[in-house]
Amino acid sequence: MLVLALSDAHIPDRAIDLPLKFKKLLGVSNKISQAILLGNCTKSYEFLKFVNDVSSNVVIVRGEYDNGLLPASKHSRTRESIPINTVVKQGDFKIGCCSGYTVVPKSDPLSLLALARQLDVDILLWGGTHNVEAFTLEGKFFVNPGSCTGVFNTDWPFSIEDEDKQEDTEKKKDQNEETNQNQETGQHQDIKEEDDQNKQNQNQENQNQNQENQKLEESNVDHSQDKDEHKDEDEDEEPVEDDLELPELDIDGSNTPSFCLLDIQGSTCTLYIYIYIDGEVKVDKVVYQKED
Amino acid sequence: MSYSETLEQALIVVRQQAVLMQRCIQQRKLMDALKHASMMLTELRKPDLSPKQYYELYIMIFDSLSLLSSYLTDNHPKLHHLADLYELVQYAGNVVPRLYLMITVGTSYLKCADSPREEILKDMIEMCRGVQNPMRGLFLRYYLSQRTKQLLPENAIEFNANFVITNFIEMNKLWVRLQHQGPLREREQRTKERKELQILIGSQLVRLSQIVDDNLVIYRDNILPVILEQVVQCRDVVSQEYLLDIVCQVFPDEFHLSTLDSLLESTLHMHPDVSINKNVLTLIDRLNGYIDRKEQEQETAQVDSDLFKVFWNYLKTLNEERPDLSLQQFVPLIESIMALSLRWYPDNLSNLNALYGFTAQKCKDYGKAIPQSAEYLFVNLLILQNFEYVKRSAALFYNIISQCESFRELLSLQNVPLQKSIINTILDTLLSTSTENGDVLVIDSKTNLENLLSVMEPLIRFRVTATTRRPSNSALGLSDDPTEDEEGNGSWVLDPSQEKLAKFCHLAVRSLPKESKQYRNVENQVEYLLLLKNWYYKGGKNIKYTYPAIITNFWKLIRKSHLLKSRQKLTKETENNYSNMIKQLFKYASRCINDLFNVCGSSVIDTVYKLNIQSASLADQLSLGEIAYDFFSQAFTVFEESLSDLNTQFQALVYMMQSLQKTRSLYQENYYDSLIVRCTLHGSRLLRKQDQCRAVYLCSHLWWATEIAVIGEEEGTTTDFYREGKRVLECLQRSLRVADSTMDNIQSCQLMIEILNRCLYYFIHGDEHDTHVSVKYINGLIELIKTNLKSLKLEEQVSEQQQSATRLQDLHIDDQDTTELPSRKKFVMGLDGTYIEIPRTNGTPASISNKLNSVYINEMIHIPLEHFDRTCEYIVNQREIDDRFKVIVV
Repeated sequence: MLVLALSDAHIPDRAIDLPLKFKKLLGVSNKISQAILLGNCTKSYEFLKFVNDVSSNVVIVRGEYDNGLLPASKHSRTRESIPINTVVKQGDFKIGCCSGYTVVPKSDPLSLLALARQLDVDILLWGGTHNVEAFTLEGKFFVNPGSCTGVFNTDWPFSIEDEDKQEDTEKKKDQNEETNQNQETGQHQDIKEEDDQNKQNQNQENQNQNQENQKLEESNVDHSQDKDEHKDEDEDEEPVEDDLELPELDIDGSNTPSFCLLDIQGSTCTLYIYIYIDGEVKVDKVVYQKED
Repeated sequence: MSYSETLEQALIVVRQQAVLMQRCIQQRKLMDALKHASMMLTELRKPDLSPKQYYELYIMIFDSLSLLSSYLTDNHPKLHHLADLYELVQYAGNVVPRLYLMITVGTSYLKCADSPREEILKDMIEMCRGVQNPMRGLFLRYYLSQRTKQLLPENAIEFNANFVITNFIEMNKLWVRLQHQGPLREREQRTKERKELQILIGSQLVRLSQIVDDNLVIYRDNILPVILEQVVQCRDVVSQEYLLDIVCQVFPDEFHLSTLDSLLESTLHMHPDVSINKNVLTLIDRLNGYIDRKEQEQETAQVDSDLFKVFWNYLKTLNEERPDLSLQQFVPLIESIMALSLRWYPDNLSNLNALYGFTAQKCKDYGKAIPQSAEYLFVNLLILQNFEYVKRSAALFYNIISQCESFRELLSLQNVPLQKSIINTILDTLLSTSTENGDVLVIDSKTNLENLLSVMEPLIRFRVTATTRRPSNSALGLSDDPTEDEEGNGSWVLDPSQEKLAKFCHLAVRSLPKESKQYRNVENQVEYLLLLKNWYYKGGKNIKYTYPAIITNFWKLIRKSHLLKSRQKLTKETENNYSNMIKQLFKYASRCINDLFNVCGSSVIDTVYKLNIQSASLADQLSLGEIAYDFFSQAFTVFEESLSDLNTQFQALVYMMQSLQKTRSLYQENYYDSLIVRCTLHGSRLLRKQDQCRAVYLCSHLWWATEIAVIGEEEGTTTDFYREGKRVLECLQRSLRVADSTMDNIQSCQLMIEILNRCLYYFIHGDEHDTHVSVKYINGLIELIKTNLKSLKLEEQVSEQQQSATRLQDLHIDDQDTTELPSRKKFVMGLDGTYIEIPRTNGTPASISNKLNSVYINEMIHIPLEHFDRTCEYIVNQREIDDRFKVIVV
C-alpha cells in the first residue's frame, strides 16, 4: 500500500511547478493508493489535476493559504470543507494529518507529540516547514515531507546570517559552497541517524542525544552573534565589488524540493524520502515498525 | 468492323485476336497478323468506357503490339521494308486502328539505323490529330509517347522537347475538351473522370524534365513559357491546378528559384476558381525542401534574390488584382509565405511583422465579424502551429511579440475567447522554460516585458461572468447567486489562465539580463515587478490570483538584498542603498496587500491577514522590529475589522500565535508585549467557549519562547529566552476557567485534558520554579478531570445490548479494557475541536464535523475518556526517563 505525502506546493503563488523529475517519477506509477496533501496545495488547477492523476484517492488538510472550502473549478463546484486535521487508516496504522500552521510552537516535537496523542495516531504527517524530517518519538512516527516545490517560506532561513564579512570574495564563495554542503549533508545525516535509531529501536534518551548532535552541527556554522564586531574591525579594508552570486537556495531559505512515500505493509511502514538536489533525485529509506 | 457490346466481350475479343495475331507472326504471315491486330484495335473505338476500363483494354493491347513491334524490327529489311509497311498501314479502314498500327510500325522503324527519324516523328505526331475524341485521342498520344520514349534522337534537346511539348499541348486540349462532353448534368462525373486521366498528361511533363535534364537555359527560355502559356490559355480549373502543381513537382528546385517570377506571375492569370494557395504552398514546400537538402549536404543555398521580397510583392499584387479571394483562400497563402520566411530568414522577423500587418489589414477590410469557420486560419498564423520545422520555443514567441507590433494588432482583432486561447498557448510555451528542458527566456528590457504584458492584457482582464457560471451552479443545487457566495465564505474558483499569469510573474523576474553589480540587478527586478503589478492591477478582482505571486517576489528580493548586504563588504553608499531598498520593498509588499484587500474585499480576508503576518516575520528576521510591528498591527486591524467568520477566526488567531512565538526583534519598545497581550485578548473574546479556551491556553506559549536552532539558540545554553512562567500559568488557569464553564460536558472534559497536556509540555520544559506549572497544579487538574469524567460517564445512554458491558466499565473508568463492539464508531477531536470519525477501512476519508452528533453520544463520550487514558499512559511511561513524573498521580 503506497501513500504519497506532498506538502507546501504553493503553486502558483510561489512556484511554477514541481521538478520535472518528480513529476516523471510520480507519473509512471499508478500504484499509489492514496495521496495526502499537507497544506498549501489547493490553489493550482494544474497541480490538483496532476495529483488526481497520480491517485484518485486524495486527502487534503488545510494550510495557512488554503481556503476553508475546497476550490471549485468550472467543471465541478463541490463545496467540501478542508479540515485542519484528519485521520486516515492504512494497514495497522492510524495516520494523522496536519499542515502544522496551527501547531504552537511551530514544529515543536512535544507539541506534535501531544497532537498525535490527541488524535490517537501512530504516524503523524505534518507540513509547513519546507524541510523534510522524519523521527520517532514515544513509539510514534513523525514525518514532514518538506515542500514538494522547495519554495521560499517566511520561516527563519537556514543560512541567513551565517557568514562573516570577508575581504576576499573568492574565499567567501568557497565558504558559501562549503556551508551549503554542510547543510545538505546535515540533512542527510538527520535521516540516516533516524534510520539507525530505528534499527536500535531506540528510547527517548537516545533521541534527545541525537537532537543534541544536530544542534551542535548547526551552531558550528553560525556566527551571527559576533557579526557586528567583525564589521567594525573590517572598517578600513577595501570594499569588494557588489557582485556576489547568490544561490536561489539561500534566498528561498535553503529549501530543497522533497516528498515522501509511505509503503505500508501490515504493521511495517517503510518511508521513502525523495529529495531533489542539484538536478538529481536522491532517495533515503527509513523503516518504522509499529510497537505492540 | 465494329466493336463489342460489353467490356467483357471486348476483353475476350482482344485476347482472341491477340492469340491469332501471335500465331500469324509465328507463321510469318504478316498481313494476317496486321489484320488481327487491326481487329483487336477496333475495340479501342468502343465508346462509353470509363477511363479505368479503357485503360484495361489499352494495357492488354499495348503488350500484344510490343510483340508485333519486335517482329517488325527483327525482320526488317529481310522479309519486309518498314517504309513500305508504314505506307501500307495507312490503308487500314478505321482511324483509331490505323494510327495505332502506324505508330507501331513507325516506332519499329525508328529502331533501325537507316530510318529518317525526324520525318517519321513529325509525321506521326501530325497524324495523331486525326483522333479528336478526347479519351481515344489521349490514349493514342500516350501510346505515341510510350513508344517513342527510348527512340528520340540523341543530342537534339530542342527537337525532342518540342516533340513532347507538342504532344503535351494536344493532350491537354483533349483533356480540357473531355470536360465539355456529354450532358451538363454529368459535369461532375466528367471532372471525376478527368482526374483519373490526369496522370497521362502529367507524364508528358515528367518526360520533359528527363529531356531537359539540367539545362536551365532551355527550360527557362523555351519550355516553361510555352507550358505556362498553355496552362493559362486553357482556362480550365482542373487543368490549371494540376499542371502547375506538376510543374512545381517535376522540375528541379534550382529551376524554380530562377523562374519564380514567371511561375508566380502565371498564377495571377488563372481561372478565378483555382485555389492558388495550394500551388504556392507546393512551390514553397519545394523551396523549403531545397534549403533542407542543401543543409544536409552542408552547402549553403545560394539565391540571387530575396525570396521573401518576391513572394511579398506577389502577395501585394495578388491582393490588388484579386479582391474576390476569400479569407480561406488568402490566409493560407500568407501562412505559406510565413513558412518560407521562417525557414529561409529565421532571424528576420520584420518579414513576419509585414505579414501580420498585412493580415490585420485584411481583417479590417473584411468589415464584419470573422466567421467562426475562418477563426482557425488566424490561430494558425498567430501560434505558428503548422510549421513542423519551426521549434515553437519561448524565445521565438518572445522575439515575435517584442519585434512584431502587428502581431499584437492582429491578435487584438480576434474575438476574446480566441485571444484567450492563443495567449494561453503562448504562456504555456513561455512557462515551459521553467522546467529543465534547456530552453531559456531572457526578457531584455522593460519595454519588451511591457510588450509581452500588453499581449496578455485580454487574459489579465478576462472575467468569468456570472451568467457563464450560473447554469453549472444551479445544476448542483448550490447557492443561486455565484458572486455572492464567492465573496462570502472563502471558497475559491480555480482559474487555469490566471494561474499561468501568476506563474509568469516568477518567470519574468528571473529572466532579466544579468548586470555585474548586484544592486543594479535588484533594482531591475523591482522595476519588472512593479510593471507586472501595474498590469495585473487591470485585472480587477483577478488580482487575488496574481498578487500573491508578486508579493512573494518582493519578499524574495527583500531576503536577497539582505543577504547581499550582509555577506559582502560594501561601500557605505551601497550598503545604504541596500538598506533603503529593503524598506522600500516592504512598502511595495504592503501596497500589494492593501490593493488586494481594497479590490477583492472579504473573499481574500484570510489571505490578506496572513500575508501581513508573513511580511512581519520576514521583517523580524532582518531585525527590522518597527516594520514587523507595523505588519502585525495591520494584521490585527484586518482581524478586528473584517475577519468575522467563526471558523476562520480561530485558525487565523492560532497562526498569529505561532508566528509571534518565533519573533526575536520586537522586544524593544514593548512591541512584543503589546502584541501578545492583544493576541491573548482576542483569544479570550472569541465567540465560542471552546475556541476561547484553546486560544488562551495556546497563548501561554507567547510567554515561553523556545529555541530556534538555525539562529544558534539552544535549550539549556541560551539564557535570554523571553519567558515568563507566571503568565504561562495565568493563561492555563484562565483557559481552565473557560473549560470549566463550557456547558457541553464532552467539550469541557476534552478541553481540560488538552490543558493537562499543555501542562505536561511545560512540566517537561522546565523546573516548576520557572514555569510555575507545579506538580500540585497538575495533580489538582487530574483530580478535577477524573471527577468530571465520572459525571460525563453518567450521561452515557445505555442500550439493551450494551447494558452488561457498560455496567462493568462504570466501575473502573480508566480501565483499558473497553472492548469495542464491532459496530462501534470511534471519534477523536482535532486541534480546532472538530469531531473526526476514524475510518474503519483502509484509505477511506474520515468524516469530519463541527457539531456533535447526538446519535453517537456514547461514542462521543469516549473521546475525552480515551484521550485521558492516553495522557495517563504517557505520564506513566515518562516515569522511566524523568523521575519528576513519579509524583504525578494518575
